[in-house]
Amino acid sequence: MSTIQDFSGYNPTWCPGCGDWGIGVAIKQALIQLNLNPSSVAAVFGIGCSGNMNDFLNAYVIHSLHGRAIPNAIGIKIANHQMPVLAIVGDGDCYGEGGNHLIHACRGNHDITVIVHDNGVYGLTTGQVSPTAQKGFKSKSTPNGILETPINPLALTLTSGATFVAQGFAGDVLHIISMIKAGIEHKGFSIINILQPCVTFNKINTYQYYLQRAYKLDANYKKDDFKIAVQKSLEMNEEKFPLGIIYQVEKPSFTDQLPQLKEQTLVNKKRFIDFDKLTKLFT
Amino acid sequence: MDFTWKIGGEAGFGIMTTGVVFSKIATRSGYHIFDYVEYPSLIRGGHNAYEVHVSGQEISHLKPEIDILICLNKETFEKHKHRLTSSSLVVFDQDEFKIEDDFKKVNVPFKKILSDLKGLPVMKNTIALGVSIGLLGGDINELLKIVEEQFAKKGETVINFNRQFVQAGSDEIKKNYSDLILNYLIKKSAEQKLVMTGNDAFSLGSVIADCRVYSAYPMTPSSSVLTNLAAWQEEVGLVTRHAEDEISVINTAIGASYAGVRSAVGTSGGGFALMVESISFAGITEIPIVVFIAQRPGPATGMPTWTEQGDLLFTVFSGHGEFQKIVLAPGDNEEMIELTAKAYNLADIYQLPVIVMSDMYLSESHKSVSKKFVDDFITSYKVNRGKLVKNPSFAEASEGKQNSKLQVKSQNFLRYKITEDGISERLIPGTPGYFYQANSYEHVEDGHTTEEAQPRVDQVDKRTRKWVTYLSHDFAMPKVYGDLEKSEIVFVSWGSNKGTVLQAQKLLSKKGTFSAFIHFNHIYPLDKEKVTALLNQNKRYILVENNSWGQFGKLLMMETGVEIKEKFLKYDGRPITAEEIVHKVIKFIKS
Repeated sequence: MSTIQDFSGYNPTWCPGCGDWGIGVAIKQALIQLNLNPSSVAAVFGIGCSGNMNDFLNAYVIHSLHGRAIPNAIGIKIANHQMPVLAIVGDGDCYGEGGNHLIHACRGNHDITVIVHDNGVYGLTTGQVSPTAQKGFKSKSTPNGILETPINPLALTLTSGATFVAQGFAGDVLHIISMIKAGIEHKGFSIINILQPCVTFNKINTYQYYLQRAYKLDANYKKDDFKIAVQKSLEMNEEKFPLGIIYQVEKPSFTDQLPQLKEQTLVNKKRFIDFDKLTKLFT
Repeated sequence: MDFTWKIGGEAGFGIMTTGVVFSKIATRSGYHIFDYVEYPSLIRGGHNAYEVHVSGQEISHLKPEIDILICLNKETFEKHKHRLTSSSLVVFDQDEFKIEDDFKKVNVPFKKILSDLKGLPVMKNTIALGVSIGLLGGDINELLKIVEEQFAKKGETVINFNRQFVQAGSDEIKKNYSDLILNYLIKKSAEQKLVMTGNDAFSLGSVIADCRVYSAYPMTPSSSVLTNLAAWQEEVGLVTRHAEDEISVINTAIGASYAGVRSAVGTSGGGFALMVESISFAGITEIPIVVFIAQRPGPATGMPTWTEQGDLLFTVFSGHGEFQKIVLAPGDNEEMIELTAKAYNLADIYQLPVIVMSDMYLSESHKSVSKKFVDDFITSYKVNRGKLVKNPSFAEASEGKQNSKLQVKSQNFLRYKITEDGISERLIPGTPGYFYQANSYEHVEDGHTTEEAQPRVDQVDKRTRKWVTYLSHDFAMPKVYGDLEKSEIVFVSWGSNKGTVLQAQKLLSKKGTFSAFIHFNHIYPLDKEKVTALLNQNKRYILVENNSWGQFGKLLMMETGVEIKEKFLKYDGRPITAEEIVHKVIKFIKS
């Protein structure tokens, strides 16, 4: 079995108290508990404070461009559908720059696990608003308060076809570990939105803020009911934050539906050589 | 034997399919073809036309005169009559419209035949094919066989129903116009040929090269690569992804390539503009990728269904920052097959983006290609994955315990190890005992991010050495057609203009003017010394390009310092013709 040490690269450079610390540890713990090791898992990072985890996590990794982690992860999965693939991204990364990719990854039920660091700001560029910032949030790019209403990541992904939608809070590492594990084990597209205080640039959405407004879903919560899940997700609009698996159903993933991947992964299959089958189309 | 057959009609009524069928009949009868389509960017209501140049010899150019014009509507006649001669045959339906008497008129009652046989409007085309084969003395059985192949899935009744229209067209000629029959398509034995477009050639070349992921967003004129590969994917064992946008397209391919499979994307200029961010990304992460660009006239939406070579400099210099890429531009279908397959090898060997440039003219025109040529190429082609390794070469030298079951500790693979040739070993993710990151930030040898000065310089220099290695190992100098030493006139061109310039050379030599032609298909980077030596001789160089800036001329000037002052540039959305080049050369000579 792997240890935290096996998965640990450079020492993190996150601010003391940043929610990323908890998420970083939770990801490693989840991988260990799933009996994975740095050679058996692929992860793609976006750009941002969350993306900087690329140097702190040992695995087969792409440190992608801002917003582009999801299509990279989809590509890896298509090439090797037996490998667990994570996209570890930020809210600006995933709901802003890469928003279109997120919607279509949900639709495709691509079997990847998207872990979003949702802190409402762009930390790495010194605190401008992100798409999840509450309306009126004042930042360097919105000195009079943001005019737009926030993205609702749960409702957005649910209605786009995601088959696993969960939410965690960076202050509760044990809970996030279980969410990440469930997400990776889920066959199909999974997203875990992690509410994460930015102690440097977000003085509103603090640990205290979430402790007051977040709550864990009840043990008898029915997670396979789409309508209930949508209702639950809409509580976010009232600054109420349900934690847990909001929605989970089994549906064939993108690669499940490709007959050419039934026998073998794309990367391991033999080269096609029966060219007469193609040339005859042109006679 | 050398003639042009052209058919025109309203968009949405099967003109394209009819053209391909005619090309196939001609090649199955033993002849060579080169064809060209004209269509507007809409599905219904515009004017579609399809011309096929047929010859006893191999060709890849168009001919100025139309010998047989099939007018399914009046517009066809009006638009193309300036290319008719007094001996041209014009097929039309007198019940629908009248034409002047300057040509040989073939009145075919399309409307009446359709109504007698209760046919659909689209079956006008089938009648037209019967008429064409009749007029050209071709073998009607070849046509009947194609009809059978086309409707095989729909059963005997549908096949027989369609065959009536072939017969009716052919009978019309036998009955009323036997004196006009040209006997141009008398069946002769010849080697087997394939009728393919440049896009077909790229698709086939990709499969030959073992491409396993092709990702694209539909964009004229590149879309048929996606539709080909999507149709073949289960048989061949590749996966196509029609993603949400071109940004996702290229990043899907980059992810798949990172994971170890050969991957490609295809688009036109506007779609490529969206991909450019990730061309740079593939550059620094050194992830192999093949990019197919079928150019059309820009800027912006431009003229979507027409042709131009206006994206050359944009392509060569695409991407932020300084990184390496290779740009190729095949001259015809044969080169497209060869260079496409080579592009995948180059991408793997040099671990960078390799861009294959086409344009609407090359991408959508069919040209007959010898089947033997294709078969021989398939046999000779070797997949070369460069330094992609199963186990890193340093593994044995080190303690080598990584893979033992007792100790599962993995080690950081030196993905960006500094090497003399600039190329580092690449490992397929999932290989036990190792891990590494492909990093879009500048990085040290093991992939971790760096902002230090020396590692930055080391990595920039390492990547730059890949070009040096490429130029000495895999760059191919332009081919010279004709006698460079003896010719005063030297054409310089690139990509799809090849066939047209070769034809211009033939026409000029008939007029007593001998010329040479330097044709580039390895566009960038260039071997400066060798190319300069070709360009700085005491000759009359003429640059031929299908754009308004002379972009390749600018690139040559930048790379070699030599400026080609005399230029033939065309940028009206139409391909260059040999006659236009000849006309220009004669003007140059006189001036």
